[in-house]
Amino acid sequence: MKRTLIALAAATVLASPAFAAKIGVSMDKFDDNFLTVLRNGMADYAKTQPGVTVQIEDAKDDVSKQISQVQNFIANGVTAIIVNPVDTSATAAITKAAAEAGVPLVYVNREPADVAKLGPKAAFVASNEVESGTLETKEICKLLDGKGNILVISGQLSNQAAVQRTKDIHDVIATDPCKGIKIIAEQTANWDRTQAQNLMTNWLSKGLEFDAVVSNNDEMAVGAIQAMKAAGVDTKKAIVGGVDATQDALASMKAGDLKVTVFQDAAGQGKGAVDAALALAAGKPVDKKVYIPFQLVTPANMDQFIKKN
Amino acid sequence: MATDTSTASSPSAAETPAAGRRRLPPELSILGVMIGMMLLFEVLGWLFVGQSFIANPLRLKIMILQESEIGIIAVGVTQTIIIAGIDLSSGSVVGMTAMISASLAQAADAPHAVYPALTGLNPIFPVAAGLLCGLLVGVVNGWLIAYTKIPPFIATLGMMVSARGVANWYTNGQPIGNLTDSFAEIGAGWWPVIIFLGVAFIFHIALRYTRYGKFTYAIGANPLAARVSGINVERHTVLVYMFAGLLSGLCGVVHTARAISGQAGVGMGFELDAIAAAVIGGTSLSGGVGRMTGTVIGAIILGILTSGFTFLNVDAHYQEIIKGGVIIAAVVADQYRQRRRKSV
Repeated sequence: MKRTLIALAAATVLASPAFAAKIGVSMDKFDDNFLTVLRNGMADYAKTQPGVTVQIEDAKDDVSKQISQVQNFIANGVTAIIVNPVDTSATAAITKAAAEAGVPLVYVNREPADVAKLGPKAAFVASNEVESGTLETKEICKLLDGKGNILVISGQLSNQAAVQRTKDIHDVIATDPCKGIKIIAEQTANWDRTQAQNLMTNWLSKGLEFDAVVSNNDEMAVGAIQAMKAAGVDTKKAIVGGVDATQDALASMKAGDLKVTVFQDAAGQGKGAVDAALALAAGKPVDKKVYIPFQLVTPANMDQFIKKN
Repeated sequence: MATDTSTASSPSAAETPAAGRRRLPPELSILGVMIGMMLLFEVLGWLFVGQSFIANPLRLKIMILQESEIGIIAVGVTQTIIIAGIDLSSGSVVGMTAMISASLAQAADAPHAVYPALTGLNPIFPVAAGLLCGLLVGVVNGWLIAYTKIPPFIATLGMMVSARGVANWYTNGQPIGNLTDSFAEIGAGWWPVIIFLGVAFIFHIALRYTRYGKFTYAIGANPLAARVSGINVERHTVLVYMFAGLLSGLCGVVHTARAISGQAGVGMGFELDAIAAAVIGGTSLSGGVGRMTGTVIGAIILGILTSGFTFLNVDAHYQEIIKGGVIIAAVVADQYRQRRRKSV
C-alpha cells in the first residue's frame, strides 16, 4: 500500500512541470476550530499560486504519527514541509529529518522548543503571543483613562498562552500611562465559560468595586458578562475584554456587552507559512521568525472580523 | 471499615433497636464539618476581608449554584458506588449531551445552524434528546458491567473515551451557539439548584423507602446474598447505571442552558468532582453505604471551598493544593468520628 502510494506520488512529481511546488503539511489535528481556519487558509492561498499543490495530513494529536508523516513527505520528494507541531518540545526529530534531507521546513502557529537551532532552510511562522494580552490591556487602559480597579480572569495555569497573557496585563499596568490601574483580584477559570460565571458571581457577592474585567480569552469574558447580567449589573456600561474574537464574542460585542477582543489571524498564518515555504524552496532568505500581527477588535471595527474566524 | 459496612449497610439495619439506642444518622458528622467550614470562613472573613461570609444572599446562592451540575451527576454516581461500582463516563457524557441538545436548541436566526431545518424548536426536544442520549449510554454501561462481567472501572473508562469522541466528532469540535431563550431559561437563576435538589430528593426517597433502594443496598453489601434472596442482580445493575447515565445527560442539558452554548470539551473532570462529593458525603467506595443527604452536603462543601477561597482571595495555585487536602481531611475526620462512636 505504502509502496503504491510512494510510486503514485513519484509519478505525479515526474509528470508535473519543472516549476511545480508540492508542499506537505502535517497539522496537529483537524477537529479544532482555529486550526481548521488556519488549514483552510493554507489550502485556499495555495490554490491562488500557479503550480503549487498542498497535501495536508492529520497527525491526530500524536507525536510519532507526525514524525512518520514528515518522513513520508521526504520520501515522496516534496518541495517543502509545513508542520503545526503536536508537541512543541518534541520537534527535534522533525527538524533533523528535514535538515538531513535538505527539504525546507516551516513550523506554523506553535513555537518549537528548538527554534533557536533551526537550520538555514527552516523558519517559524506565527503570531507573537506577547501582543494579544498587550493589545487587550492597552485598549482597556485607554477606556479607563489609565486608572481604575480591574479583575483578572486567567486561563489554565499550566498553559503558556494563559501565563503570557496574564503577564502582559501586569506589564501594561506597570507602564506610565496605565499606572493608575490596580488589580484587585486575579483568579483562574480554566478557559471555561461556566467557571468564569461562577468566579464572577463569587466576586460580585463580595461586593468588589471594579471598573473593568480583563479575561485571557473570550469564553471566560462572555461567562463574566452572563454572571453580571444575572446579578443585575448593567453590562452595557461595564468594560469587559477578552482574546480570540470568537463568533459568540463578536455577537456579545454587537449586543453592546463585550468591549474589547483581539483577533488572531489564523488564515493569515496559513498564508504566511505557504509564502515562507515557497521562498525557502526558491532559495530566498526568510526570517527565522515571521510574525503575523494580532489585531485589536472593538465595536468600531468589529464588522470586518465577523466572517473571519 | 469492612465491618462498618455491614452494620450500616441498609437504613433499616441502622434503625433497629439492636443498636441499643437510636443512632444518629451518619451524615450528621459531615454536616458538622460543613458548618465548621462555614464558621471558619466567617471568622477569617472578619479578620482579613472585613465582611461576613455567610450573611450574603448572593454568595449563599452561588455556593450551591456552582456545584449544582456536579451535584446532579453525584446523585447518579452515589448510587453506582453504593452497588460497589463507579461511573467514570459522566463527564464525557456531559460533553456529548451538551453537543446533541445544543444542536436541537438553536434559534431560528442562528447563522450557522447544525440542522438548519430544526431551529427554533420547543425546548422539550433538545431536553428529551439530551436525556435519551444519557440514558442510552447508561444502559450500555450497565449492560457491559452486568452481562460481560468486566469491572465497572474499565467499562465506564472505555465509555468515557468513546463519549468524548462522539462529542468531538459531532461538529468536528466546533462550538454550537445561538441557542433559544426558552432553552437558556433552564439554566437561568435558581433552576440548576432546583433541578439538583429535586433529583436528589427523588432518589433519596427511592433509596430509603422503596424496593429499588433495598435492592441497591443489598447488591452493594453482598451481591451473592442479594442473588440468593431472589434479586435479579443483572437487571438492577443496568437500572442503576441507566439512572446514572440519565442524570449525566440532565447535567449536560443544564450546563448547556447555563452557558448558552454547546461545547465538546465541557464536563472534563466532572466525574471526579462528583465522586469527591459522594465520598465526602460518606459514601463508601467498598459499596453498600451511602445516602443522598450526605452527597448533597458533600457537593455543598465543595461549593463552600470554592467560594471561600475566592472570598479570601487565595492564590489560584494554592487553591487546588488546599482543596485536595481538605477532601482527604474531611473524610478522615468523618471516619475517625464514626469509629469512636462505635467503640463507645
